[in-house]
Amino acid sequence: MVENSPSPLPERAIYGFVLFLSSQFGFILYLVWAFVPESWLHSLGLTYWPQKYWAVALPVYLLITVAIGYVLLFGVNMANTSPLDSLHTITDSYAKKQQQKKHQKEAIPALRDVPINEVNKMFFFPAKAQHTQH
Amino acid sequence: MEDEQSFSDISGGRLSLQRRYYTQSCREFCLNCPRLSLRSLTAVTCTVWLVAYGLFALCENSMILSSAIFITLIGLLGYLHFVKIDQETLLIIDSLGIQMTSSYASGKESTTFIEMGKVKDIVINEAIYMQKVIYYLCILLKDPLEPQEISQVVPVFQTYSVGDLAS
Repeated sequence: MVENSPSPLPERAIYGFVLFLSSQFGFILYLVWAFVPESWLHSLGLTYWPQKYWAVALPVYLLITVAIGYVLLFGVNMANTSPLDSLHTITDSYAKKQQQKKHQKEAIPALRDVPINEVNKMFFFPAKAQHTQH
Repeated sequence: MEDEQSFSDISGGRLSLQRRYYTQSCREFCLNCPRLSLRSLTAVTCTVWLVAYGLFALCENSMILSSAIFITLIGLLGYLHFVKIDQETLLIIDSLGIQMTSSYASGKESTTFIEMGKVKDIVINEAIYMQKVIYYLCILLKDPLEPQEISQVVPVFQTYSVGDLAS
């Protein structure tokens, strides 16, 4: 059985080095494409490269996407919040199907999802709760 | 016999709760919500009209001003009729049912009655509302054919109040 551990391994060193080389190469290529004038590139025979407009446009698009992502994530969270009259605030399918384990004497009771009416009795009617156990 | 207490709600307005005990098995709870304050009304009207005047200064079209007046009037009427709740009452009759009445600022009243056979329990539930966690009273309903399952959750008072005793 192979354990998953974050320690360094020979394969990981190779992956890291390949990633490092390719990212450096990609960056140098991007700089060359953005700064070297068209005429020099044409004289070398490289005629079918994208317009230099995109060398500025793509980073701007990326940054705007990141900024909108913050707002969008907040909005999606708020939209997915259950309304106050939804059953999801009380229970869900896992809580309905849980198994009742038998109570053993002198042992800590097993972990389970306590129904909301029992929780309310414990919080707001502490004197009565001592009579209703399990 | 009657009993009155006053509280303050989440946004700082004053609420007052009246409890009436008619007989042993019949009780009524009335919650009076804060009235529409003049301050918020003037603030909203001023912002809408200033925005409309700004747009008029840009486009020189006087329809914007008259439409802003119409929008303010119709918006205020709609708000009073559909949104602004003046008073909510909860009437509990043992073995018969629970009746909830909301009366709006324009005089409209809407009533809901739940028979006792459908009521499973009344609990205080906590849930996330906007960016806060609020505690609200709600009635859990059950289907008479499946008494163990909760079929619906009905929040009782729509003006979400936190029970801080203010007086």
